[in-house]
Amino acid sequence: MLISAFERVKVAEAAVHSVLLDKRLIIVTGKGGVGKTTIATAIALASARAGQRTLVCEVNARERISGLLGRPETGAEITSLEENLWAVDVKPHEAMREYALMILKFESIYNAVFENRLVRYFLRFVPSLQEVVILGKILFHLKEKRPDGSWRFDRIVIDAPSTGHAITFFSVPKVILDTVPPGALANDAKWMRELLIDPAVTAAVLVSLPEEMPINETIELAAALKDRVKIRPQAVVLNGFIPSRFTEGDLEQLPPGELHDLAAAHQARAKLSVSAAERLRALGYPLLIVPRLFTPTFGRAAIEEVAGHLGKS
Amino acid sequence: MNPIEAALKTSNVILCVGPGGVGKTTVAATLALRSAVDGKGSLVCTIDPAKRLANSLGLAELGNAELRIADPVLEGASGQKPRASMHAMMLDMKRAWDDLIEQRAPADKREKILNNRFYQSLSTALAGSQEYIAMEKLCELRMQRGYPLIVLDTPPTAHALDFLDAPDRILDFLDNDAAKWLLTPALAAGKIGLKLFNLGSSYVAKTISKFTGTETLQELANFMLHMSSMYEGFRERAHQTRALLEAETTSFVLVSGPMPERLDEAVFFHTTLLQSHLRIAAVVVNRVHPPVPQALWAEAKRLPDELRKRVEATLNENDHLASQDAKGVAKLAELCAPTPLVLVPRFEMDVHDLTSLWNTSKFLFGEAHIEPATPAR
Repeated sequence: MLISAFERVKVAEAAVHSVLLDKRLIIVTGKGGVGKTTIATAIALASARAGQRTLVCEVNARERISGLLGRPETGAEITSLEENLWAVDVKPHEAMREYALMILKFESIYNAVFENRLVRYFLRFVPSLQEVVILGKILFHLKEKRPDGSWRFDRIVIDAPSTGHAITFFSVPKVILDTVPPGALANDAKWMRELLIDPAVTAAVLVSLPEEMPINETIELAAALKDRVKIRPQAVVLNGFIPSRFTEGDLEQLPPGELHDLAAAHQARAKLSVSAAERLRALGYPLLIVPRLFTPTFGRAAIEEVAGHLGKS
Repeated sequence: MNPIEAALKTSNVILCVGPGGVGKTTVAATLALRSAVDGKGSLVCTIDPAKRLANSLGLAELGNAELRIADPVLEGASGQKPRASMHAMMLDMKRAWDDLIEQRAPADKREKILNNRFYQSLSTALAGSQEYIAMEKLCELRMQRGYPLIVLDTPPTAHALDFLDAPDRILDFLDNDAAKWLLTPALAAGKIGLKLFNLGSSYVAKTISKFTGTETLQELANFMLHMSSMYEGFRERAHQTRALLEAETTSFVLVSGPMPERLDEAVFFHTTLLQSHLRIAAVVVNRVHPPVPQALWAEAKRLPDELRKRVEATLNENDHLASQDAKGVAKLAELCAPTPLVLVPRFEMDVHDLTSLWNTSKFLFGEAHIEPATPAR
């Protein structure tokens, strides 16, 4: 019976794959430690494989995506990782510079003003300025076109901060619109917000694990994104799923001792996985299941496998 | 003496820090429980506890208040009569900010500050402000309350530095000439309705306003003006906070998991703490999979064929996780040397009730051990 629940879920995957990959901006978020970066990388890889020019962004983080794919660090420059796939680790200082230069046009002015130590302190205190330039850079690339009029990137995948920070981060355009009087900043916040809340453009993917805290947080996060931030959750990924393996009869057959306990522990986790799937499915979004992987090193091969599970049809 | 036990004995403040999702809250609650039962009264200040942990601590309905955990509850968990009391509280960031303003701002400025749009974003949405208020609260608890030990579960920071920087950042800002330069003319003129040209009709101010909008600067200046009477207080407390973090009686416990994807973050955290000259009692490696005893493989061989295959698959997976974790542990030990590592095994279920916290404490105190597997080949 447990197995069939798992099978049912897998059938849904194919549908989800097509739903996910028709959005241009995919925001991957969830509790710390649930595998956001893995899932973001896998989605980006799947997107690139599908022939879409894809940019995957880390947000002021310790860069991991390039390493997961077995490539050298990209840093704050958009760097090609392989065919159709680019990565960047967006840093506030560089993003601020790019943004300021766009408005000021002159590098000398930028250097004189924005590289000034005192001014830097001041800017740090302007609410959410750091977030808005990071988000601004990412969304700028979403609007960017090539000379032939096609998008520079067909799709952008954001490996977003974890729950609370993600809500803060994506609320920033609204916070700015509410706090900051009309001006360059408010104008930018306006178009950013419009892109973020447009369900035809943007989708959030919530990553979770079959454990109590991550599930609770996913449920709260889904509500917060939908009601407060107005970003539509598009799918939920249950990472680290443990499929059922033993029946009650099997467990009875095993003599009491460590072997029995190991099998029972496996089954307990499998049960937890199923109830986690049920709780998450009750949210009403398509649920994608990624089984727990047992690979010696977590690198490219593992990402490929995860991408396979996400894209199964 | 085991490093965690030593830290509990010599410290009156312990901060549990580390990457998200590794069990900081559980470790913090465990330390407070153990300390109280062993005779040093404690307060655990958590940020966002799991519902079941909050329930078992009796915190479900509570906000910012400190609540005493009933002695029979402690006794039920540990099987011994607690020799001191344990308190627990949840930190509500927005409430803490409002309290700070209500207690510290001059009467005529309070409403103006609380209603200022900059304040609202400062207290709810501004990155770094959570970290700052957590430090403020810690300082306040330390100064004003008599807890022999306070254990702080730190907020899930995106970046180690945000948290450690928080007091410095406020100090930097208040100490720096930019604020004075922007505000001094207005302060001198005693003007509340600050005009932009008072900010210095300088080239710099004009350029910034091009960026943020003129009125933004103006509003911000108003906000800072209202806050200005609190600057000295901020400065003083930021210094106190910094001193508290550096005190001999303050220890950091860095909590990490053994999995490779969290390692870099933990090591980075460790380096940052060291560079900031902060005292790290130990690196707690949480949820380590213990190795599979060799004898189990032989035992599995005696099972009927079909069941044997599935049992062996389970053994293989466990073996895999154990050797992967062992690799992580070895790497952590190497990169965090000479800070001692303390290993806590992965329990069958999430640790939420006080009895499991007590069991966890045995591993933290070195009364129970897991030997990590031989690192994967």
